Amino acid sequence: MNTAAPFGERARRREDGPLLTGKGVFLADLIRPGMAALRVVRSTRAHARITHIDFSAVANDPHCLGVLSAATLPEGMGRLPAIDLVEGSLPAHHDILAREVVRYVGEPVAAVIAADAYLAEDLAARVAVGYDSLPPVLNVGEGIRADAPLLYPQFASNVVHQTIQRVGDPEAAFARADLLIEETFHFQRVCASAMEPRGALATLEPGTGRSLVYSSTQIPQILRRELARLTGIPVERLRVIAPQVGGGFGVKEAVYAEEVLVLLALQRFGRPTYWLEDRQESFLASSQGREETLRVRAAVTAAGEVTAVDADCLADIGAAYLFLSNTPGAAVASLRGPYRIANFSSRARSVVTNKTPLNVYRGAGCPQTTLAMERMMDLAAQALGLDRAEIRRRNLIGPDAFPLDRGVSYPGCGRVIFDSGNFPALLESTLEAIDYHGFPARRAAAGERTLGLGLSFVVEMSGGGGAEPAGIRVLPEGRLQLLSGITPIGQGSATTLAQILAGHLGLPLTAIEVLTADTDQSPDAPGTFASRGATLGGNAACLAGDLLIREARQLAATLYELPLEDIRWQNGELIGRAGVPEPLSLAGLITKAQEHGIDALRRLQVSGRYERDAVSWTSACHAAIVDLERDTGIIRVLDYAVTHDCGRIANPLLVDGQIMGGVLQGLGQCLFEAQRFDERGVPLTQGFMDYVLPTAATAPRFILRHIETPSPLNPLGMKGAGEAGCSGAVGAIANAIADALGPQVPFLNGSGPFTPECVLAMLRRRGGHHEA
Amino acid sequence: MQCLDIRVIVDGKALTATVPVRLLLSDFLREQAGCGGLHVACGHGVCGACTVVLDDVPVRACLLLAVQADGAAVQTIASLPQLEGCEPERGLTPLQQSFRRYHALQCGYCTPGLLVATAKFLAGCPSPDRARILEHLNGHLCRCSGYANIIAAIEAVRA
Ligand code: FES
Ligand code: FES
Repeated sequence: MNTAAPFGERARRREDGPLLTGKGVFLADLIRPGMAALRVVRSTRAHARITHIDFSAVANDPHCLGVLSAATLPEGMGRLPAIDLVEGSLPAHHDILAREVVRYVGEPVAAVIAADAYLAEDLAARVAVGYDSLPPVLNVGEGIRADAPLLYPQFASNVVHQTIQRVGDPEAAFARADLLIEETFHFQRVCASAMEPRGALATLEPGTGRSLVYSSTQIPQILRRELARLTGIPVERLRVIAPQVGGGFGVKEAVYAEEVLVLLALQRFGRPTYWLEDRQESFLASSQGREETLRVRAAVTAAGEVTAVDADCLADIGAAYLFLSNTPGAAVASLRGPYRIANFSSRARSVVTNKTPLNVYRGAGCPQTTLAMERMMDLAAQALGLDRAEIRRRNLIGPDAFPLDRGVSYPGCGRVIFDSGNFPALLESTLEAIDYHGFPARRAAAGERTLGLGLSFVVEMSGGGGAEPAGIRVLPEGRLQLLSGITPIGQGSATTLAQILAGHLGLPLTAIEVLTADTDQSPDAPGTFASRGATLGGNAACLAGDLLIREARQLAATLYELPLEDIRWQNGELIGRAGVPEPLSLAGLITKAQEHGIDALRRLQVSGRYERDAVSWTSACHAAIVDLERDTGIIRVLDYAVTHDCGRIANPLLVDGQIMGGVLQGLGQCLFEAQRFDERGVPLTQGFMDYVLPTAATAPRFILRHIETPSPLNPLGMKGAGEAGCSGAVGAIANAIADALGPQVPFLNGSGPFTPECVLAMLRRRGGHHEA
Repeated sequence: MQCLDIRVIVDGKALTATVPVRLLLSDFLREQAGCGGLHVACGHGVCGACTVVLDDVPVRACLLLAVQADGAAVQTIASLPQLEGCEPERGLTPLQQSFRRYHALQCGYCTPGLLVATAKFLAGCPSPDRARILEHLNGHLCRCSGYANIIAAIEAVRA
């Protein structure tokens, strides 16, 4: 492989030009005069039987272009898909519009179509929906009680999904342990809060009459398949395009009712129809993340070796599966992180509650397990009087242990086999970056202020989702179009993929255009999630590049009547043995072929599938230093160090961007963010006024370092980089806050959020009785 | 729905329109004045994505009605060169270049509002220290970047 050129460079992004000048085309920019607006009538109850839906106030309004409700949906219409079910999962899927029962505030009940969004909102407000309230289930503790109200009485339980794992002999290890630690961690519900809300638009494609759906989605190819299944439109009569996506983070990795509704409206009423989510709807009806209760027990020897861990996870997945709703529980499989811990058992259950459906959110369960494991390490160190770095050192998997079968499996991604890594090196690098040894002196010098330092390791699955196709088209002037299935969501994948392919072929970056996110252009691929874009998209691009090289060599061999072995590909050119032919560029080859009446452009069009198992494990060691203001309870994260190992790095500028962005999301979860509900299940946070996101002033000083342990699983040696920043941050920050508070303060285990009120409450409990 | 006639200068071009009184300035600019670079992220004045300059003052277009802009001049991302005091049509402005160089944008949804607001901020305060920059950025949410690169990009262009 030729990597002399662009692979590994801090290349500026090709995406930036239009975005900087306001010319980026996002979903809302596709709306044209004459298109109709759809407004969803949403449930105002958390749990209720629908007694009636009365459209009479709008039916005769001249502004009303159409209405939809469950009663008018096509006969036998399917329900929204989930792709991470295991054997025994109960089918808690949603209908497109609620039938008979609503199960969360915000659930789509009906839809109204009008000439513009203002009129549609007016009309929607006049649709009268009658409800008979049912008792809501608002947390997992209630949900698993034998006498709990049931969301789906036909299942006889609110537990809809369960996975159990076991490695070694945990009972024996617990029996022998010198120290037992048991903690219960609570993780609040958070909202991914991509800055661009969701949106969808259905129109007819001029010329072909096919249905063309635009959606701000991470998964256009899957969306097309599901739209075909749900509406009965043949898949080849459907085209789905994701325009510029203004942030995803998992919230746009699902098939939602609104995407189906705009297409139904187009079919039914013949008008191109759009739906744009407003921010309040994002808080009610876009997926939410994280909520779970995780009980962890650890067996530890006097020397600080953790010999067994047992975990019980109850994930609050809301009212139904969305798409990948069970990952919080599944992620428990990787709870042990970078530590040997020979014995392990876990049970993870997903519980339905009367809240907005949960879906993956950046990190997909790993932030919770990371925080829990890293807190356990600190608690063990404290109980044994060991240094926090030292206890980690004593438990880390060594650099020679790979590949390492962890003895568990990750639903949908097979066995957990760590492919490579160097955890001790990550630890020492991060300790140095944060000046761990200088910290006690720094703390002592801080005077009035109280500083705390927290460490956290993350080992995170990346690159799941299955095989990845890619294709290459050659343009007459010799430039290439890479047809990729990786949908850009702000991570700069077009730049990264172009770098990878340019490096592989020995061509300049400018010779490669990346086409994606359009089911007509891009191959039928899983999409963008699970930190898979660069690794899978990149390796698929190289595979297609190899096919292109073969075709080009074959074509040259034919044209020059030479044996194939006499033609090599080198630095972007075809080179003949003994100087015949003279070094030939792709453009030259095309011209030459044309002289012979050969359609080179067709011959050079290639496509392939990267089929190899590419689930690799990205690792990182994080350290945070926080400052606690004791009188106000305000926490600030001052310094933040990460040593990150995502294998070989195609573009460090962009990887650093992913890490910092991820860390800030973890910081937000720990310090500010929480989606709360009142006792009737009504969300109390419905906008950025009350859902607090991190701002620039909360950003720490970053010290980022990289170790590149290539993954042996793919030729490029890459691993994913999209999520480990977020997953590691919650652990480091929670540990730093606990450290600042000191061991006498009963720490609220979990991700808080550690708002000033929460911190002051913990400080008040100091020395007093510990509230349960 | 009651409508009113308004006259607005948008990015240097004079426009007249008859608009419903309840039409938001953000929707007017996007749908009738062709300002697709104006992004709406929260719709209630918190995130700054929709920032435009109205008669020399940065405002949130999602919090104003189109009729409130009657008689005013509005500058959006298309006026960034003027806001930075450089020649229009000469490629990226120094601020845009700095954002690109420091990778201060990922999805780019927050970017136009941030650039407009920052250009205006720097015009009034050409050499801000870090604290002033943070204070300025407080009114802008970015969910992707982690902010550090935005701060660095602004520090790099201050006088
Ligand atoms: S969209 Fe106007 S401030 Fe957020
Ligand atoms: S770059 Fe995505 S919100 Fe700022």
